[in-house]
Formats: sequence, C-alpha cells, structure tokens
Amino acid sequence: MVKIRSRLCVVVLATAAFTACRVNRIQNDHSIAQTLYQGMGSDPGTFNPILVTDASSGMAIEDLFEGLVKINPKTTLPEPDLAQSWDISNGGRTITFHLRHDVRWSDGVGFSARDVLFTMRAIYDPRVPNSMISSLTVDGRPLEVEAPDDYTVVVKLPRPFAPLLYAIGVPIVPEHVLGKALATGQFNRTWGIDTRPDDLICLGPYRMQRYVPGQLLAFKRNPDYWMRDERGGRLPRLKGQVLMIATDRNAMYLRFISGLLDVYRPRAEEVWELQQKQGELHIKLQPTGVDTGSRFFAFNRNPRHYIHNGKMDPKYKWFTDINFMRALAHALDKRGIINLCYRGLAVPAIADISPADRIFHNPNLKDYEYDLKLAARILDEAGYRLLRPGVRGDPEGHPIVFELTTPTGNPTADQICAIYKQDLAALGIKVNYRPLEFISLVKKLDSTFDWDCVLIGFTGTIEPNNAANFLRSSGNLHIWNPREPHPATPWEAEIDRLLDAGTRVMDPYQRAPYYWRIQQILHDQLPIIETVREIGYVAYRDSLENFDETTWGVYKPEWIQFRH
Amino acid sequence: MVRFLCRRLLLMIPLIIGITFISFSAMSLVPGNFLTGLAMNPQISPQVIRQMQAEFGLNEPLLRRYLNWLWQAIHLNLGVSLQYRVGVITLIESRALNTLILSVSSMVFTWLLAIPLGVVVAVKQNSILDRVLSSMAFLGMSIPAFFLAFLALDFAVWVNKPWLPVGGTFSPDYANLGPWSKLADRVDHLILPVLVLGVAGMASLMRLMRSQILEIKRADFVRTARAKGLPESLVIGKHVLRNALNPFVTMAGYALADLLSGAALIEAVMNLQGLGLLLLNAVQSLDVPLVMGSVLMGTVLLLVGNLLADLALVAVDPRVDFGSLASQ
Repeated sequence: MVKIRSRLCVVVLATAAFTACRVNRIQNDHSIAQTLYQGMGSDPGTFNPILVTDASSGMAIEDLFEGLVKINPKTTLPEPDLAQSWDISNGGRTITFHLRHDVRWSDGVGFSARDVLFTMRAIYDPRVPNSMISSLTVDGRPLEVEAPDDYTVVVKLPRPFAPLLYAIGVPIVPEHVLGKALATGQFNRTWGIDTRPDDLICLGPYRMQRYVPGQLLAFKRNPDYWMRDERGGRLPRLKGQVLMIATDRNAMYLRFISGLLDVYRPRAEEVWELQQKQGELHIKLQPTGVDTGSRFFAFNRNPRHYIHNGKMDPKYKWFTDINFMRALAHALDKRGIINLCYRGLAVPAIADISPADRIFHNPNLKDYEYDLKLAARILDEAGYRLLRPGVRGDPEGHPIVFELTTPTGNPTADQICAIYKQDLAALGIKVNYRPLEFISLVKKLDSTFDWDCVLIGFTGTIEPNNAANFLRSSGNLHIWNPREPHPATPWEAEIDRLLDAGTRVMDPYQRAPYYWRIQQILHDQLPIIETVREIGYVAYRDSLENFDETTWGVYKPEWIQFRH
Repeated sequence: MVRFLCRRLLLMIPLIIGITFISFSAMSLVPGNFLTGLAMNPQISPQVIRQMQAEFGLNEPLLRRYLNWLWQAIHLNLGVSLQYRVGVITLIESRALNTLILSVSSMVFTWLLAIPLGVVVAVKQNSILDRVLSSMAFLGMSIPAFFLAFLALDFAVWVNKPWLPVGGTFSPDYANLGPWSKLADRVDHLILPVLVLGVAGMASLMRLMRSQILEIKRADFVRTARAKGLPESLVIGKHVLRNALNPFVTMAGYALADLLSGAALIEAVMNLQGLGLLLLNAVQSLDVPLVMGSVLMGTVLLLVGNLLADLALVAVDPRVDFGSLASQ
C-alpha cells in the first residue's frame, strides 16, 4: 500500500510541477499589433476564387482578390475597383472598362487586361464548374470580352443587360500563374487549401500569411495596395487580420466575450445580454439592418405531384385557390413569431425583396393582417366549411389535411412551424409537421416533387435578377412548380415578361418598377407566404475606429483601425 | 507464433474488404449525393451540377465506384476529397498530429489516475473515500462530455487567465513564440480538453478496476498468499493487481483505434482541429472519399490493435497461449 501511495504521489507531483513551471509571456494585444480578429464558421473548401461555392471560402479570399467593380454596401450601386471608370455605349450593348495602371500582383508582375480576359476564359471553360457563369450568360450566350490595349477591356452584349454591372465584379486571377493549369486541364486542382500562402499570387488589400486547418487564417497588409485615403495615406490601416475558425456558435460567443475576437454578429437571444454588458466588456453594439433574404412558406402547385392513378389530389385545388391561400396568409401570426422566436428583433416580411435592397424593394404593399376570424370568414364564403367542430372540409367534402416540412436542425424554423400549425388548427386545418434532413428535402423539392408545404429561406442579393431562377416559370428553383414548359398561369407569364424587360433598362432607378410589379404579383397571387426578416446586429471592441457594417457588408473596410 | 501471425494477418484482408464495402454501400444508399445540397443555390445552374457529377464520377454504378476506390486504395491512393479538392491523405495528415496529441495525453491522464484510484477504492471498500470517489465516478459518467466541455469553457471565461484559454489548439500568435513558449502554449490549451475527455473515461475505468480487484481479492490464491505471511502491499501489488490487469490489456488494444478517431463533439465545442470534426462534416456532406479514407484507417488500426492486444495477453498471462487464442 505504501508503495502504491508513493507512486501516486509522484504522478500528482509531476503533474503539479509541470503546470507550475509556466513560461510567462505578454498577452497578445490586438490594438498594439493593429490586427483584427474575427470568427468564421467553418474551414474554407478552396482558395481558388473561381471555384468558390461556399461562404467560408468566399470569406477566406475576399480580401486577397478584387474585381473590375465592387458594390457599395450603403448606396447598393456599383463603384470603381480595378476599373477606375467605365462607359456604356451602343444603347447598352457595349461597356468599356478603363483599368487602373498602378496595380501589381504580389509577385511584382503588373496587373493588366490580359488577366481579365484569362479570368473570363476560365469561367467559360466547360471543364471548370463554377457559380459565376450563370450570371455572366445573357440569353444562353457568353459575353464577348476584348482587350484593345493592356488597360482597356470591352464587353459586348447581344442586348442591353443591366445586371451585368452587378455580375462583372468577379475576382480577377493572374494569367501568368494559372494560365498553364487552365491549358492543361489542371485548373480545378490548383490553389486548393493545401497551397502555400506565398503561392497565392493576389492583389487585394491583404495577403495570406498562414492557414492552420480548423484553427485560423492569418493575413498581413499588402504594402503595395493601390488605394489611398483622402490625405494620401496608405491603406488598409490595419496591419493584419485573423479569421479564427469556430464551428460552434456558443464557443464563438465565448471567444468574443473573453476578448479573443474583436467582432461578433450575435444571434437575437444574445443581443440583450451584450447590450447590458457593453460597458463592462468595452464593446459597442449596433444594428446592421434587415436581413437580405426571405423565408417563406411555399405551397406545392405542381400538377405532376398531385395526379395519382389518373385522379387529381384535392390539395392541388386548395393551393391554387386564391381564397384559400388568402385565408392561410391571414392565419400567419408574424407579430407572435417576431416576439417568440426573435426576441422582438425582426420585422414582418411583406415583399419578396428585402427592404435592405433600397432601390428594388417595393414599400407599397399592404400586409395580410393576422386575423383568424377574417380567415375563417374567407374560408366559409369560399365553401370551405366546418365538417364538424375542429375539422374543416373543402367544397367537395374532403377534410383539409396537409404536410408541412422544413430542413432539420433549425430551432427557429421549428418554432415558426409550430406557431403556424397551431393557428391553422384553430381554423380546423390539420397540418402534419415533419422536418426533413436537408439533402432529402432538396431531393423532394428538385426531383420527386413529393411535398405539400415547405418553410424555406433564400439568401438575397442586391441584383434582383439573381433570383430569376426562382421567379421565372422555367427556373429549376421555381419552387412551387419547377421547370414549367409553358407558364402555367397568366401571372407567371407576366413575371417572365417583367424579368426580361427589367434587364434591358440600364439605370437602376428606371429598372425598379419592373421588380416592384413582380413583388406585387407574388403578394397578390400567394404562391408563397412571406414570414419575417431578422434585424442583424454587430458587436465590436470600442477601440475599433471607422467600423461601419451594413447588412450587405462592411463599408470602407480599408479605413478600419484600432485607436492608438 | 509465426503461424498464428500469418493466420491473423490473412484474416484481416476479407475483414477490411467487407467493412469498407458495407460502409461504401451505406454512404451510397443515402438519398442524394455530395452535389444535391448545391441544387438549392440560385447561383449554381443545373449544367454546372451535371458537369461536377461527371467530374467526380458519381454517375457510375455502385460496384464500379467501389472497385475503383479499392484499386486506388491498394496503391495507397485514397483519392481526392470532393469538398476540398485535396488528397484525402493530405487532409487526414493535417489533422492527425493534433488528434494524436490530444488522445494520447487524455489516455495517459485517464489510465494513470484511474488504475491507482481503482485499486485504492477497492482496497478501502465501503470507506468514505470509496463512497466519495465512486459517486464522483458516477457523476462523471452521467454528464455528457460535450456539456462538460461547455461548463469548462464557461469556467475558463470566468477565470479569465492567459494560461486557461477558451478553446483552440494554440494561441493566434503561436508562430512567433520560442520553442519553450510553444510547448507551454500547447500544454495550456490541452488542460481543459484532457480534463473533459479524461473525466468521462476515468469513471468507467476506475469502476472496472475496482470490481476486478474485489473479485480477485476473494480468490483462493490470495488467501494462500496472506496465509503464508506476505505483507498486504505485496499481496495487492503482486498477486491481485497482476491478475486484475487482463481486461485492461485487451482494452488497450481497442484504444489504439480510438487514438485517431477523434472526439467530434468536444472538438466542435472546444474548437480543436481534430479528425473527428473533419469526418463528421464529411459524413454530413456525403464526401465519400474522405469518409472511406477514415473508415479504412480506423479499421486497420482496430484490427492491428486487437492483434497487439492478443500478443500482449500471451506475454502477460501465462494461462493464455497461441493455441487457445487461435481456437477462439
């Protein structure tokens, strides 16, 4: 026994000794190092800007590469970037970009129009699957891009196409580095996440310094960056940036609280706590604006789903009956959802385009007020009467029952569905709620069409034509009835026409009425019922200066610095 | 011995093929594939998805894809991850060292504490020490590890000391540190994860040790040892402990497979760059080559660990020989 005890003592002592002999070192101070620490949800998938399809890869390369134009998050209008100006001629069919002369790649080679041509070639290469090609294709044809000299790029279009200025800002990649890979068909395997940071030849405000998988991405300032501030000072003002990878949201929150991260975008339930602790934690908390996307209930109007053994399922009639859909819209308690699921930090969504999209959002729509009595009356008048207490039937006497689904793993979506299910039950409509694994759900929405009602969200972009795949009757994301051979209804035909016409006018303010009309049609015809939009917040150290974030991104990020 | 080894090694081949084939089919029977999730992205057209489908060879029949994979695997090529477009071996390598450091240190911590404590509580059966340690063991077993990890992080925020960091494998300025500071930084970041991983494992090991000792303490040869006047420490240390260790030798073999399997939940909460999370993500996004690479690695480690455990058992316990092992 003595022997065992002494052995145990040795172990305990050794452990204690090891933890006691600490090497003291100075705590890393972000403001002295002028290095901004931010969080990131997952590892990047690639460092090749053309191949990016996920948000994390996009974040990783955002500050390394630039495009011809960039979008100002405050005005939501395109602004010069690598192109210092552009002219539109030939009635909108020709756009001439004048490139900056003072831009160099990080290996010292000058940036020129050849790199722009090469980037476009890579995007149009059939061996390079990428997400940019669809917005750079007009009526199924690629753009004609020419370079009359080293600093001029001319883009010729088959017809005037306004969304081009929002799509042309693709990150430009260096021809002298990647040209060979594209020629030999190796492009898809270049600049993966195993690339040495020095081999990523870039020209943006930062250069990559280090990537540690699962841990962090470190960037240092590009000393040759072309942009200057109003007094001619070098930009960016920060000396470096670090993106810390934290898969778990709660862990990320704790890291912000403990001072490891300088910027954090809190969830609704964390906003209040951060507000209380602003002074104690030396942080500022600011709303960034209304969410850019839209989350809605979609109802399956696809006849292919409803014909079983030659008989039409009655659901098809309900979901295409405007009275039925209006009653369903009046039964959605948006106020209750905002208070219960978002702690009051959300606004009812009325139009399909978010109010964050200043120019294209239609502010004139009147919401369907939450009113169960009115909903019951509309149903009664349209012939959907109570068969017995608590069970409503359609005019042919079928009891109204349908399935509601949403991707699993989202507590807010679960709550919204629960609230809606309860209100519909009060009307005598039975809803079977069954969340599905994302991939299985996509399968149903995209190919088997075996669903009734789904709660789903899309992220938004400033350019409304990016949603064409969803709005157009032939689109594969036209969720309520995808890939229609001909528009199934007159109003879907009208949306198709408006989408075409809306791209032919070059001035954003003159384009807006077309998209306002589309939002009006969706609002009146109700193939989808909009829910609510969250109000975003950002919390950051109060020693950060010039930090100004909108829902579309950070405004003038090059000016950010820590107070000295 | 040689015959036994050859037999066991030959048996591994059908086992590996069977296990990998079942995993491969299971991955393929799940509805959808790696590209299905991309279909909901309005920026990605169906043509692009069809192109990628062809590029990754996802259109071919199951058996053909499996045989292709197997043929490559035999040539030590585990293919390219669909998510990252980087070799599977590169990806696993980049995380393996961290997982290894974490699992070895938590295993050492667990075993070094659990076995002596198990002996102590067994010797002092029903004493206050036994009661206290046993209740702590039950508590440790019943708290889910990921929850314990959250509590630990909360504790670190509350303590707010540089030597108790809030998750991560090392500090952001790690690359600029000297070698000793680097080591210290690593150790700092290991304290909480090792404690969290250790507490759960320790509880069950300690209970097992206790019951083993209690059982053997009543055996005839222990009474004989006492009767011939051996001091109690020698009875426990030499006769009881050696006999009680048998199940632990087998367990150590299984532990070899655990070394590289990682702990996904703890890794997610504590932000450790381990294999567990990489593989969890791979399974969720149906990145077949990455999942198969890890299945193969885990299988080989498990089989080799088992073999080593059996060899060690022969060495430790004179009652076990190769003949009896082979006939099992």
